Amino acid sequence: MANTAIELVNVSVTVNHAPLLKNVSAGIPKGKITALIGPNGAGKTTLILAILGIIPHEGEIFFLRDGRRETTRPRIGYVPQRLDFDRGLPLTVLDFLTLSSQRRPLWLGYQQAKRDKALEALREIGVEHLSERQIGRLSGGELQRVMLAMAISREPEILLLDEPAAGVDVSGEALFCEFMTRVQREGRLTMVIVSHDLSVVTGHAEHVICLNRTVQCQGGAPEVLTPENIMAVYGPHAGLYRHGQDTCIHPLHHK
Amino acid sequence: MESLFATIYSFLDTVLPFAWAASLFMKRAFLEIMLITPLCAIVGIQVVNSRMAFFSDAISHSAFTGIALGLLLSINPLLTMVVFGVLVALGIAKFKTRSDLPMDTIIGVFFAATIAMGIAIISARKGLTQALSSFLYGDVLTIAEMEIAVTFALFAVILIFIALSYNRLLLTGINEPLARSQDIPVNIYNYIFAIILAVVVTMGIRTIGILLITALLIVPPASARNVSRNVRQMFWYSLFFAWVSGIAGLVISFYTDIATGASIILTASLCFLLTFIISLVRR
Repeated sequence: MANTAIELVNVSVTVNHAPLLKNVSAGIPKGKITALIGPNGAGKTTLILAILGIIPHEGEIFFLRDGRRETTRPRIGYVPQRLDFDRGLPLTVLDFLTLSSQRRPLWLGYQQAKRDKALEALREIGVEHLSERQIGRLSGGELQRVMLAMAISREPEILLLDEPAAGVDVSGEALFCEFMTRVQREGRLTMVIVSHDLSVVTGHAEHVICLNRTVQCQGGAPEVLTPENIMAVYGPHAGLYRHGQDTCIHPLHHK
Repeated sequence: MESLFATIYSFLDTVLPFAWAASLFMKRAFLEIMLITPLCAIVGIQVVNSRMAFFSDAISHSAFTGIALGLLLSINPLLTMVVFGVLVALGIAKFKTRSDLPMDTIIGVFFAATIAMGIAIISARKGLTQALSSFLYGDVLTIAEMEIAVTFALFAVILIFIALSYNRLLLTGINEPLARSQDIPVNIYNYIFAIILAVVVTMGIRTIGILLITALLIVPPASARNVSRNVRQMFWYSLFFAWVSGIAGLVISFYTDIATGASIILTASLCFLLTFIISLVRR
């Protein structure tokens, strides 16, 4: 228990009488990278939204501090799979990052400390050069990285990433892998990654939860990621291949 | 309060030594416009960024029923207009959290129901039609000192709220789930903003009228969006275009006998056209 950051007890989500999640019970280890895998419609994003408290659920979600169960959420960084927003909005990347951290209205300018912190987060993800660009003019990959920078600028205890590699180009993917490796090395952040991308899972995840409305299997990555389990979750056409000398393994996407 | 206004009028005589600003009713209209136009612009920025123009239109049209109710029940129609507008805004906001219907459908239902209710009241009591017409087109030239004082108080309270919550409101408008994930109490902000919007819209009706108040909310921020590159510029340009439209509209109406509300919105629309051309040239 002391090594668990989030404990899910019989979590169920029903929307319009349709069960999206049913009795999900799982533990997410502290300071490690947990991959949430499963086919389309398995309820991966729904589980992330339930952890965030955005979607109502039955059952209990506990956040553990010093082994004690608490229902108040710690600081969570979240990167959604896709950000739907008004692309014509005159909002720079730096505006976007300071929106949630700064109380002084942005029309009175940035607070120096908040501005520095936002720039530091952008630098960490390798997108400092985008700070003055309007967010509506970013590519999908650039936006993902900016959102990752926004999430880490909150100095979260838990980071939830929903399909972080989707739409990211090759250089973006390399930066993302570098970030994951660093997080793994430091071991301070509890990270949950939703991914279809088995390369991210095999390359970085230390813990894996296979989901298909309910938990199919969970445990340490080497034990869970067996060909039998992958076939049971994704079907017979999933596979993996290594790409060049990269530290990351790239996927043969499940069709 | 009388001596305060006397001081303000004498100050205006010094800084605005023009024929259009000579009479007392024009000074009052000027003061009201100096307050209500930026107030509408500040609230309008969020309306534009959160795509709430139809919501604001429904509230302004609900004022029609609020006024009719006030006249029918012999209560001050300005009061019933504001209260009814707030109730409609809260009703829409509540429905939004409980229904899977698209937002514009929910607003459309409220819009139709409140207008039908207003028509039902005035058709049953024929004498009310005359009293309603000044609210349809607005009548800033008959504004009273007490109304200016109320607008000033409103301006101060809303400015404080907006200053404290501007960034969070903006993030909520950009994407609600993202705002929720950052521990922003989205529902509370939405309700408070709905109340503020209802109060500003119904207060602005005295100046601009039911038919045009939404335009005063959205046209200056829309013009600002055409030429802004960041949040700060959008805010200040919105205020600038709102003031320019308000004062130019008042002066034009003095010299041409056009209804003040209409001339303000025509000036604001001209600003929009010019800024739109600038945005095309910049591309």
